[in-house]
Amino acid sequence: MTDAVAIRGLRKVFEGRAGAVEALAAIDMTLAEGEFACILGPSGCGKSTLLNVIAGFEAPTEGSASVFGAPVSAPGPDRAVVFQEASLFPWLSVRDNVTFGPRMLGRPKDETDALARRFLDLVGLSGFEHHLPDQLSGGMKQRVGIARCLILNPRVYLMDEPFGALDAQTRMQMQELLTHVWDQARGTVLFITHDIDEAIFLADTVYVMTARPGRMRSRIAIELPRPRSIDLLTDPRFNALRADILRQIREEAIKAMAEEERARR
Amino acid sequence: MTAAVRRRAGLRELGLGLALPFVLVVIWEAAGRAGVVPQGILPAPSLVAAAWRDWAFADPGLGLNPYLGTWGETVLFSARRVFTGFVCAILIGVPMGIMIGWNRMVAGAVDPLIQSLRPIPITAWLPFAIAVFGIRDAGAVFLIALGAFFPIVVNATAGARDVPRNLIRAARMMGANERQLLLRVVLPAALPNIFTGMRLGLGIAWTAVIVAEIVAVKSGLGYVLWDAYYVGRMDVVIADMVSIGIAGFLSDRVLVAVQLRVLHWKQAVRA
Ligand SMILES: Nc1ncnc2c1ncn2[C@@H]1O[C@H](COP(=O)(O)OP(=O)(O)O)[C@@H](O)[C@H]1O
Ligand SMILES: [Mg+2]
Repeated sequence: MTDAVAIRGLRKVFEGRAGAVEALAAIDMTLAEGEFACILGPSGCGKSTLLNVIAGFEAPTEGSASVFGAPVSAPGPDRAVVFQEASLFPWLSVRDNVTFGPRMLGRPKDETDALARRFLDLVGLSGFEHHLPDQLSGGMKQRVGIARCLILNPRVYLMDEPFGALDAQTRMQMQELLTHVWDQARGTVLFITHDIDEAIFLADTVYVMTARPGRMRSRIAIELPRPRSIDLLTDPRFNALRADILRQIREEAIKAMAEEERARR
Repeated sequence: MTAAVRRRAGLRELGLGLALPFVLVVIWEAAGRAGVVPQGILPAPSLVAAAWRDWAFADPGLGLNPYLGTWGETVLFSARRVFTGFVCAILIGVPMGIMIGWNRMVAGAVDPLIQSLRPIPITAWLPFAIAVFGIRDAGAVFLIALGAFFPIVVNATAGARDVPRNLIRAARMMGANERQLLLRVVLPAALPNIFTGMRLGLGIAWTAVIVAEIVAVKSGLGYVLWDAYYVGRMDVVIADMVSIGIAGFLSDRVLVAVQLRVLHWKQAVRA
């Protein structure tokens, strides 16, 4: 079976005015079809860069990314992206934001409107079809961002800290909503976060990245039963996983600080 | 604030705003009647009003006096030129600005030319316009379109250049092609800037039409303005000036009404 996502020897260097920044150094990873993978790593370690390469927003400096065997060359609706700031079109209603993708592909309006109703219902936003994005809270905007991805029926979902800007309570609601949605929609997910609990709660596998330049440090299988609920947060297995990941991340943070010290001297 | 309170506050503001002009008009009228200012240079408001009434409503008779009953057609002449030139400026300026803001190649090829022509005042183009188009409507329309074009193209460029990167990325990942990206994302995102440019452009269009009509054509508010001055009809000159002001003000209000409609999503939160 082909891997849903295959990254081979991926390296990314940004040539900036202040010199070159090596964001990613030699990343190798594969995601199986239907896998929910979370990537954890310190800020600035290249998580977004990795996701942007898979999305087709950035070209790799070396190596390659392929999705179901096809090398990535440009963005496309087979790889749906949920952004940290929802990035909805402020001039379109919630419904028209959700139907944007299929409309661009020429699907008829009555058909896409019906689909939009279904997915807005799934993310708990029925009744908000005609609202504008600026009339919604942060959590609701992200739900629209998720619905406009669901309607694409993509093979891979790429989520770049989608709940990072939300308050703790909303974030928890969104995590539950996402597991609920995923239990129905399935699909392969690459989810970036810097919240350990979030990663364990959502993922089948957690990848911990090193400090910049980013590499994969470890891959941890999360064998907790699904469907998952908030009760899981107090489960001893959950705590054991958290302790293990926390230790790895702390080591990375210390390394990153040492790196910074050395660079400054 | 309730609607009634707001309305009363609005009325009070309007009353305050009208007070100063009212006082000035009264002083002006009194000075005229007292013979302090020569009426041939600065006729009193009542004389201006009478001349204006005749200009607007009097029977033109054999048409020997051009300031009887010709106001309406005069305003229409100017307004039509402004409209035509302004629409041309939008039709050329908006797509061009979007392309400059969107595509680096286009920016490199076109922007230097626009930036080097932009500092030339619209009045400096007059001889060129007359030489190319002659004493005809086309010269005036050219001048108006040119004057309105620059603020529109510059603002459309800024709007297209500053579209948030993630909106472009979102549209691409949802499958939008280049054309859809320009029409469905870049254009709507640039519209607030485009309207700013259009309002500036419309102001310049009224300046341009007056200049063009003074020099290059024989009709419209600009032509009458200069012609009336030549024959010593300062009452008509002042009536003409006020007419230009009102026309400019009203056309701006129309544009703002269109803007509020098109950019309704910008007001959504306040509503
Ligand atoms: N377009 C860019 N140009 C230059 N440097 C960039 C660019 N994008 C990201 N970087 C740099 O690459 C590194 C990784 O960035 P990013 O992938 O956004 O990190 P993360 O998402 O893990 O916080 C950072 O040091 C960042 O400053
Ligand atoms: Mg990031």
